[in-house]
Amino acid sequence: MSDQFDQNLRDHLHHEAEEIHEFPRRLRGRIREGITPRARTRMAPQLALAGALVLVALAVLVARNPQVIIKDVRSTITQLIQPSPNPTPQPFACSDRSGGSNGLVTQLTGIRVASHVTDGYDRIVFDFTGGVPYYDLTRQESAEFVRDPSGQALTLEGSAAVKLVFRDTDVASGVQADMTPRLTSVREIAQLGDFERILSYGVGLSSSRCIRVQELSGPSRLVVDVAISPSASATAAPTPLPTQPAATDLGPFTCQDRGGGAGGGPTMQLTDVRVAHQPGYDRIVFEFAAPAGGTARVPAYALSRQASPNFVKDPSGQPVTLLGSYGLRVVFQQASGAGTYSKSRDIVASLPVVQEVEQLGDFEAVLSWGAGLSRESCIRTLELANPTRLVIDVQTP
Amino acid sequence: MLMDPALGRVIERCRDGDRDAFEEVVDRYGLQLLRTARLILRDPALAEDAIQETFIKAWQRIGTLREEDPGPWLTRIAVNESISSYRRRHRFQALTERFGRLGGGKHGVSSDQRLDLAHALDQLTPEHRAAVALHYYQDLSVEDTARALKVPVDTMKARLKTALRRLRELTGSEEATA
Repeated sequence: MSDQFDQNLRDHLHHEAEEIHEFPRRLRGRIREGITPRARTRMAPQLALAGALVLVALAVLVARNPQVIIKDVRSTITQLIQPSPNPTPQPFACSDRSGGSNGLVTQLTGIRVASHVTDGYDRIVFDFTGGVPYYDLTRQESAEFVRDPSGQALTLEGSAAVKLVFRDTDVASGVQADMTPRLTSVREIAQLGDFERILSYGVGLSSSRCIRVQELSGPSRLVVDVAISPSASATAAPTPLPTQPAATDLGPFTCQDRGGGAGGGPTMQLTDVRVAHQPGYDRIVFEFAAPAGGTARVPAYALSRQASPNFVKDPSGQPVTLLGSYGLRVVFQQASGAGTYSKSRDIVASLPVVQEVEQLGDFEAVLSWGAGLSRESCIRTLELANPTRLVIDVQTP
Repeated sequence: MLMDPALGRVIERCRDGDRDAFEEVVDRYGLQLLRTARLILRDPALAEDAIQETFIKAWQRIGTLREEDPGPWLTRIAVNESISSYRRRHRFQALTERFGRLGGGKHGVSSDQRLDLAHALDQLTPEHRAAVALHYYQDLSVEDTARALKVPVDTMKARLKTALRRLRELTGSEEATA
């Protein structure tokens, strides 16, 4: 019997663990962002010696022919201030990709497309101000997409596609929302969404293709090369592609309480609370600003689900029952809406799940709000910048 | 366990500051570590945070890794990070519940309640869950589990025994064995 219990425990742990099917690309991006380049200290003596030899050689050349050296130096400087040339091309890979800088707030200023038939690829260049933002690139076996946030279906030209989602990015005016270059591989590029600083584009392809991605600077740009030949230079076996467009790229919903934000620092000021329905979820947004001289952050918060819409007001202790059958409570530490939040403190939303959102307390820099839900739902949170806000998505049927 | 030569070359490149090489390490060990952290923390978001911190620490300390398989070394960092993360969160919850700010939170389970294994695991301490996860999920021996958690083997045996007894009590399996 004991062996049976051990076996059940083993089976259960494996079953529970394998609910995570793959290592999240977003987490890989966060790790990559968190590891800073290190100096290659062990190369230092060799580099110093090489540098010294170059200086000696230059000195000898200057002494013999100064005009030639000046010309060469001018040429070198010209090369340095020109946009960085492409580094050694990476191989094409038939897999999804993510990268860029997490937390970087940028603007997309242009999209360029060009055919490089002789080199075997079509090139798309996304230009940004100030760096390449965090991005997810996913391939799919159809050119059908869902627009964000309207939920409208959109079918691009082609029989396969890639989707690019940029975080903390908006788009400059004048950037085309839809273009149809009709190249060998790249048939159409269309904006899918520009909402809450999540910017997404779909690229319709003539058929499933392998991709090469390069992040370049001076100017900041993300270069996406799409192979013309289905098997061109692929370094790995193509990964199977999803046939349906992904419902969302904003992370999974989980049916557990959660917390986040950042503690310490000055009390954050609540400036706005918004509620809206999006395809697949109801969204509650808490927007914050920093006091003068402070830096804005999403304050530390604890989000808890409950099986009733009954709450207790803080600090009065008065009971309050919101519309619905279930509840959600969010408690912010070091936050207040006193003097900065002037809109309704009792929002009757009447959305598919979120029925009512009401302030429960704002006392001693502890700010709490409750939401009445029509059904038990899983949740997802996003902490976004510019403006600083906590986004709570409540899954809808 | 000694490192295989190919992995040794990857680690060597990491020591030289090659971030692409480090991504190979993340690809190789990330999923297993994330699953283990999830079993300990019982929260996907916290598990991801713990694994992010694990790899950042590993990158900073990779110079201290000797000619050994990095798996147990990374596991040790991940488990410590998970337990610390759980304690930090638990302190915050305890504080907010104490002042009546939060209505939710976990409560004790009375003896007449019968839980499924998932909920029974929720009731264990993070140290017990770590022991259970390494021994029963990662299939580490008691000795290797003790080594990963830096406790004596006898302590680990006692910890596993206590954890199993508690799980049996909570799931009602105690009665079944009587």
